[in-house]
Amino acid sequence: MYYSEYLKTLKQFSRRVFGKINRNITTSFPVMNYGTYLRTISIDYHIEQFLLKCSKLNEKAQIINLGCGSDLRMINLLNYNYKDQIAKFIDVDFDESIKLKDEIISNNESLKISLDASISTNKYHIAPSDLKDAGKTISMLTNVTNAKLPTLIITECVLCYMSQQDSQNLIDSIMNLYESGTWISYDPIGGGDDDMSDQKNKSHGNDRFGIIMQSNLRESRNLEMPTLMTFNSKEKYSQRWNKSVIDNKVDIKINDMWEILNHNVSTAEKKRLRDLQFLDELEELKVMQTHYILLSAEWKHAIK
Amino acid sequence: MGLEVEEVIESIKQGKHVSEATVYSLCLKSQELLINEANVTRVDTPVTICGDIHGQLHDLLTLFDKSGGVEKTRYIFLGDFVDRGFYSLESFLLLLCYKLRYPDRITLIRGNHETRQITKVYGFYDEIMRKYGNCNVWRYCCEVFDYLSLGAIINDSIFCVHGGLSPEINTIDEIRSIDRKQEAPHEGAMCDLLWSDPDDVDTWSLSPRGAGFLFGKGEVDKFLMKNNVELIARAHQLVMEGYKEMFDGGLVTVWSAPNYCYRCGNVAAVLRIEDDLERNYTIFEAVQPQDGVGNTIIPTKKPQMDYFL
Repeated sequence: MYYSEYLKTLKQFSRRVFGKINRNITTSFPVMNYGTYLRTISIDYHIEQFLLKCSKLNEKAQIINLGCGSDLRMINLLNYNYKDQIAKFIDVDFDESIKLKDEIISNNESLKISLDASISTNKYHIAPSDLKDAGKTISMLTNVTNAKLPTLIITECVLCYMSQQDSQNLIDSIMNLYESGTWISYDPIGGGDDDMSDQKNKSHGNDRFGIIMQSNLRESRNLEMPTLMTFNSKEKYSQRWNKSVIDNKVDIKINDMWEILNHNVSTAEKKRLRDLQFLDELEELKVMQTHYILLSAEWKHAIK
Repeated sequence: MGLEVEEVIESIKQGKHVSEATVYSLCLKSQELLINEANVTRVDTPVTICGDIHGQLHDLLTLFDKSGGVEKTRYIFLGDFVDRGFYSLESFLLLLCYKLRYPDRITLIRGNHETRQITKVYGFYDEIMRKYGNCNVWRYCCEVFDYLSLGAIINDSIFCVHGGLSPEINTIDEIRSIDRKQEAPHEGAMCDLLWSDPDDVDTWSLSPRGAGFLFGKGEVDKFLMKNNVELIARAHQLVMEGYKEMFDGGLVTVWSAPNYCYRCGNVAAVLRIEDDLERNYTIFEAVQPQDGVGNTIIPTKKPQMDYFL
């Protein structure tokens, strides 16, 4: 519902972007809809787990959505079940993305109403920052958040666009700033690592998904994913959170989306999905979803 | 007609538009030819078995190139000519033209995508709307789909089908008694032949696809024994290595769409059956699309593939 409102107002700002998104929504293949579903519910699940934990400990929490784009997650979070648990929700993105999002929200009646209270109390904050500049990002966050509160960081298809150095800087400085927190990251992984993969799963020997993805994206969208083949396995992807500067061990969990579909989605829910949209084959879904991962890294600074 | 078919083949190879009237006449002629074929066509060795094509015309042309070409070689196509790729119409028309031009050298079997319902979701219908502005050509092609065979038998020894076995079918003769000239139904023997998959299961099991069944080594062994055949050759499932033998060589999956959906990164294969039934696989890779330049076959657009971004 919020997204259709968002789109409606977006149309006033850019018919071209509206047309693109609208076409994508209406013509998506079932395999894409399944992937979008998996990505959405699994991130939501981790956010809820984090808030649930904070609520049990009776702690207020902060959520920072880095590279938020047009994500409207904050509306439900700030209005429903866990609204009292959230001390602050910060949306961060490039200046122009933030400006557009801000304008759309203030020009759309229903979006505005649903966020008015949170904006006036400074609970919801929308802030421009170039994540490549970790220093500036940290000083912005230091100004608007409390480093002592448990903090949830979301990077949903964000780190994959950054250089190895920039993404490592960002991870290190944020984990250094907040005393405790959880990092949720959703990204593609390139695959194709014969020695790293499960030997029984022979199909990995032929895995060229990442290389083809890089070249498809470069040619059709002029997009670069510099670390897709560097952090091309679950193991390599998660190493970045282990490198962190903190003394205490970081608790890292990482699954690919195919594992999540098979182990975390109930039989009843799978049947509901099948009834919603018939999926003609599973092989292509498997190829795609084994190349997307969800990481959750929980950290706590040692008491000094 | 002979000349006209040759002309259409040339146009397709050059990436030219084929007029609605030409498609109509090709489809009518194909129906006249296909209506006389049995549900399970008899084919002699040597023959080359090909799996899913899915509208990847450039790769289909590579397939003919790598496997001898229809002028010299007999072929069985196991279905799924259309959907997913951007040249479903051209791929299907090329195969129909070859069928009209060399009726004894090419056998076309129906896949689960050769139906009205599936092509409306997975690309063929949209492709026709894009190319013609109306759905007439889609309707003509769907009429042809209804006449395609359900299987083939090579030298009384190798059974070919798109998907797999059915709990309602014990003998190949039972397939011969199906009234195949209809839109593929949602259940029953005809549906299962188009939809089922082999798997490590003890007995008939529900398919995660929601149509057809999963069947195991037990069902395959029983079928081979009962029908006195040594191999079931089928397609229907993406195999990254192009082909996969299962159940001590009693069943093989052949997949002929390299870099499926321009995204999966797999290789493709065809299987040649020699006179002594020896199996020879040929592996081939996808054609690299390039803007404008073409690839000596036809100019092609760079495909824009979807990812989660």
